[in-house]
Amino acid sequence: MAAGQPGFPWRSGHSLQSIGPTAVPTDWGNGVNWNVARITLKRVAKRFRDGWSVRTRLIVGYLSAVLAVLIVSGVIDLLEQHEHIANVSLLYLIAVLAVASIFGSGPAILASLAAFLSFNFLFVEPVHTLYVADPAEWVALLLFLTTAVVTGQLAAGQRRRAQEAEQREREAVVLYDVARLLGETELEISLRVVAARLREELHLAAVVIEIDVDDEPTRVGDGDATAIATVDSAVAGSKRVLGRGASPSTTRRGSPGRWVRVVPPHAPHAERSTGPHRLFEVPVETGSRRYGTIFLMRQATAAPSSSIDDRLLSVVATQLGAAVERLGLRREAMQSEVLRATDELKTALLNAVSHDLRTPLASIIASAGSLKETDVTWSEAERREFAEAIEQEAQRLNRLVGNLLDLSRIEAGHLKPERSWHDLASLVDDVLLRLRPVTIQHVLVIDVPGDLPPAPLDYVHIDQVLSNLVENAAKYTPARGEIRVSARRNGGEILVEVADSGPGIPEAALPRLFDPFFRVTGPQSRPGAGVGLAVARGLVEAHGGRIWVENRPSGGARFSFILPLQGPRQTDSTGSQAA
Amino acid sequence: MIRAIRTILTGHGFDVEAVGTGQEALDRYSARRPDIIVLDLGLPDMGGVDVVRAVRALDNTPIIVLSVRDAERDKVAALDVGADDYVTKPFGVEELLARIRVALRHAAHPVLGSEPVFRTADLQVDVELRRVSVGGTEVHLTPTEYDLLKAFITHPDKVLTDRMLLQQVWGPEYTSEAHYLHVYVARLRRKLSIGPSQARYLVTEPGVGYRLLGEAT
Repeated sequence: MAAGQPGFPWRSGHSLQSIGPTAVPTDWGNGVNWNVARITLKRVAKRFRDGWSVRTRLIVGYLSAVLAVLIVSGVIDLLEQHEHIANVSLLYLIAVLAVASIFGSGPAILASLAAFLSFNFLFVEPVHTLYVADPAEWVALLLFLTTAVVTGQLAAGQRRRAQEAEQREREAVVLYDVARLLGETELEISLRVVAARLREELHLAAVVIEIDVDDEPTRVGDGDATAIATVDSAVAGSKRVLGRGASPSTTRRGSPGRWVRVVPPHAPHAERSTGPHRLFEVPVETGSRRYGTIFLMRQATAAPSSSIDDRLLSVVATQLGAAVERLGLRREAMQSEVLRATDELKTALLNAVSHDLRTPLASIIASAGSLKETDVTWSEAERREFAEAIEQEAQRLNRLVGNLLDLSRIEAGHLKPERSWHDLASLVDDVLLRLRPVTIQHVLVIDVPGDLPPAPLDYVHIDQVLSNLVENAAKYTPARGEIRVSARRNGGEILVEVADSGPGIPEAALPRLFDPFFRVTGPQSRPGAGVGLAVARGLVEAHGGRIWVENRPSGGARFSFILPLQGPRQTDSTGSQAA
Repeated sequence: MIRAIRTILTGHGFDVEAVGTGQEALDRYSARRPDIIVLDLGLPDMGGVDVVRAVRALDNTPIIVLSVRDAERDKVAALDVGADDYVTKPFGVEELLARIRVALRHAAHPVLGSEPVFRTADLQVDVELRRVSVGGTEVHLTPTEYDLLKAFITHPDKVLTDRMLLQQVWGPEYTSEAHYLHVYVARLRRKLSIGPSQARYLVTEPGVGYRLLGEAT
């Protein structure tokens, strides 16, 4: 809308059309020319607004007013030589309107007065005097003056409103962009763009934004490199700080705040700006906390900022503060989420420790105490039983502690498998041999083909995985039940399965079975800490493999895991097979 | 820990002197020259591996290191600089005593394996004729497999690290090619497991190396 404003008053008056062909484009009916005129005018107005300092702007405005009146006087003179035209003085209105549209109300008043005087002086009988003979002419002249002033002020008002609308649109666009940018997750990138936008909108030499979230200072700058470089030294010197304005209330509009000149101690009081720039500071803060500062480096010769600019700045600073606060809150929320999860884990760990560590400890302490007793005479068999109980329970503790350590390492992400090519068949043999005491009451079926290729694995880790699965199977399989351990090649992977003939796993527990400290509750439950399977999953996944469980149709559960066959060092693997 | 081990070993007829730091151990070693050293790798004052190295600079006294699970690197390092064996904490008394006995036996007969025939329950290796048989059935081994087996029978019951075996069988430039070793040990096991007892001669010491059992399980 703003674009059409300078021409707007001209379009309405019919009678004025006849006086068209003077200072403005001729072909009114042609939209192209109209647009050209509009754009040219807008450009002139913009150049006028932005390019010059206030004083130059004033001088140019008033000079233009006088010049426009002189030109119109010349035109009227020319026209008058041919024939007398009624109300030719209205031509001056065009000049007044043009001046008002471009330069505002002051020059418009000057133009009105100048037009009044020159018309009186040049064209009203007696000419070349300011004396007016005919009282009717007096009335006409005064009416003309009034019309000129009033239309001039209307046009100037229109211009001002157009400018304000344009400003507001600009402000809205900037704010919209800033708000959107600050929604981005990467704070530094958004700050950089915001700085660039501010610098461009406010015609500054440089904008530096300094934000401190969670003691991580971020600083971005945009604009003239030397100006950015001088920000630090300028901060120590005299500067202007945007104070916080009145907050808006239900009845009153808020104000953007005022610039307050700050002269730090030891700085020269005189405003001896550092170099060609002057420093302005806008604090970034929310109600309770200060988060940083926007530093503006403005050319010392540039016009001071308008109240609209100030409002824009304080809104941007407020937005920035809110965004930074939001970011901080988001981080805090994330941290507390992590803490909560850790806390949950810790509680589960404590439960596990308090129960599963204490149970074996209790029987160890009791057995050792019994052995020490002197007033009871134990038979050799009894003594042996105590000793065996101590040993067995201690072994159980040892396995539990090992698993807990592994789990903590997995949870902390400190687990790095040291993979090398191993024969899985021997690993299965080794594990089953070592765990023979645990599976002594069960029927072990081993199904590992002799031509199973070597697989890249960390022997200690996969040994642990298989041990945990076999121990688990032994725990749930009744005496004389079958435990089947099989391994086979499945494309580019090795599939290992441990199937038991226990009660199977309740459907609801299947998805959480590998979670740390998860325990199946109900009649199928067996004592344990819920650590072994979690460790198995962590170790298999560290190898780039996968572990899962399913219930067998024939009863019991089957745990399976796959390990990829692609090794850590492909070239060596082919070398070893050729050797 | 010291107390328990001292009690156990004294109970089994050993004359035990126990000290708490690596430096003390080295001082007492120089003074007394014991027959065997049981060394915990977790020392308060210095690295256990350094103690092993310092002892080896003086003599061939057998050293058995004690270490926790997950410290496989330390064990391998100690074995590579000359420790004779290791026991993982926590361990059973029988295990520790067995290791000590083996180490003492080796120290007493350092040239074991130069005998022409190595024999356990089923396995029989005639070094001069390069013939291997299990339960009376002759087993054909490739030269590399035979070299590997020979490395084992030279040190029965002693843990051999991957590095030692690689160096001995393949040569010093192959010491980081552990996968050769794993694959050949697997082949060797398969060839040796034909006997009626399905006995295991070669056991894996996870993360450390292998051991040939003089008495097959």
